[in-house]
Amino acid sequence: MANNSLADQLEDAIEMMIAEPDSAPPKVDLRIGELLGIAAELRFLPDPEFRATLKADLLGQSHAVPVTPSVNVRRELRNGIPALRDPKLDEILPTLFGSGDGTYPVHRGSFVISAMIHAALIAVVATGGLWVTRQTQLTPHTTSVLLTDISPYPLPPSTDKSGGGGGGGDRDKLPESKGTLPRFAREQVAPPTLVVRNEQPKLPAEPTVVGPPALTVPPTSQIGNPLSAIFQPPSNGTGLGGGLGSGSGGGIGSGEGPGFGPGHGGGTGGGAYRVGGGVSAPRPIYDPDPEYSEEARHAKYQGTVLLWVIVGPDGRPRDIRVQRSLGMGLDEKAIEAVRQWKFEPSMKDRHPVAVQVNIEVSFRLY
Amino acid sequence: MKALENQNLKNQNDERLQIEAAQEDPARFAELYENNFERVYAYVARRVGNREEAQDVTAEVFHQALGGLRRFEWRGLPFVAWLLGIAANVLSDHWQRFTRQQEVVADDVEQIGMEDDIEQRALLYQLVETLPADQRRVIIRRFVGQKSLREIATELGRSEGAIKQLQLRGLQNLRVRIRGNHG
Repeated sequence: MANNSLADQLEDAIEMMIAEPDSAPPKVDLRIGELLGIAAELRFLPDPEFRATLKADLLGQSHAVPVTPSVNVRRELRNGIPALRDPKLDEILPTLFGSGDGTYPVHRGSFVISAMIHAALIAVVATGGLWVTRQTQLTPHTTSVLLTDISPYPLPPSTDKSGGGGGGGDRDKLPESKGTLPRFAREQVAPPTLVVRNEQPKLPAEPTVVGPPALTVPPTSQIGNPLSAIFQPPSNGTGLGGGLGSGSGGGIGSGEGPGFGPGHGGGTGGGAYRVGGGVSAPRPIYDPDPEYSEEARHAKYQGTVLLWVIVGPDGRPRDIRVQRSLGMGLDEKAIEAVRQWKFEPSMKDRHPVAVQVNIEVSFRLY
Repeated sequence: MKALENQNLKNQNDERLQIEAAQEDPARFAELYENNFERVYAYVARRVGNREEAQDVTAEVFHQALGGLRRFEWRGLPFVAWLLGIAANVLSDHWQRFTRQQEVVADDVEQIGMEDDIEQRALLYQLVETLPADQRRVIIRRFVGQKSLREIATELGRSEGAIKQLQLRGLQNLRVRIRGNHG
């Protein structure tokens, strides 16, 4: 009972002391006077939560560079609640101003350094992209493709080998008749003919075929194709463009052009003229680089494509064929490039002639 | 007397080792903090007369101490003396911002015998932690949270009378322990 009375008195005195801290101490029983003194000191008792929070904050700081904590950190510790902040700043810079604040010491200098490093990295990424783009554009022209330039290797004219051929006809139903070749000449004025369609030409000319003038054949009674199997009835052959045979172009035989036999462009021996035998090599005057196919680039595939090409008297390549294939789309790329080339044509007896050449197109990755 | 001197010497050596350890590894500063928190807080609280400001200044003192720990040189004085020096500087800055309070506390400083008062307060704060849990809860809610007995009773699910008795027994216990510490 006495204890209850003591507790009541003490509580009344404490209540007054807390309510009016600046007033004089109340008169109380001597037994509780000393207790009231202790209670007065306890008014400044530190908050245990603050004690623990400060310790945790110090331990956090000990892992970083020792610095004075920010004002915000201290306010949080003091009030136990986050200090008032601008919510817009929280969203923009959460580490400096948002909920992350107080976890670690804040250095404004670090923020500046971080911003500079980020700016530098962004600049490197931006310029790096430009650099890569520029390199990609330059690659096909400068580093990825190596062409075999044949111009440094002009072959001297040879006297013993040549090629070429020709053919003709006037769409007769019968093959051309057997006979002797007309005279070989460097230029053809009139194609050879067995069945004369124009009996009275205004400007008569000797029929010739284009070929080495020194080449002679024994004459017989009738002009014709010496390789033909029939003599009669006379026929110019099934070809076209004048001349005799199944070809075209005013020559004799199955080829194309004013020469004799299978082949191209005049002369004899089959095929087009070849370099040598008085035929100069064509010289490329416009030779754009081929592109690398994507497939071969990814596979890092390298090698050489060998093309078989006829370079016409106009300097344009035609009849391009692949003689040694590389695959992975590089054959097509090589043909596509060479088709655009322009040559200074081969010369025979100071006249441009069609010539067959091999062109190597090398693809190399560097 | 000899035993007391030996004990003091041992405490000094222990503290010196703690300081050197903390200078090498700042994470070891926790021990120094635990040993000196109440003294620093009591020193500051006596001068500012307000719990919130006292906590604010105390936090500043310990952060500055941790930041400048590598510059600390052992000269035979207790570590708390260095901490109180920092506290005086922090208070000086604090007062420069609040010049009106400066006058009040300056008078206060002259009137009070400092050393014993700080030690007694620090001891009291430490002894609160040694109270039985229910008494400690009531004391902290009553004086730190400044809640009424009725609020505390509601919060803890006890009667108001029971809380009043716990408050009385808590204060009596503190008195007994203070006397026990003073021998």
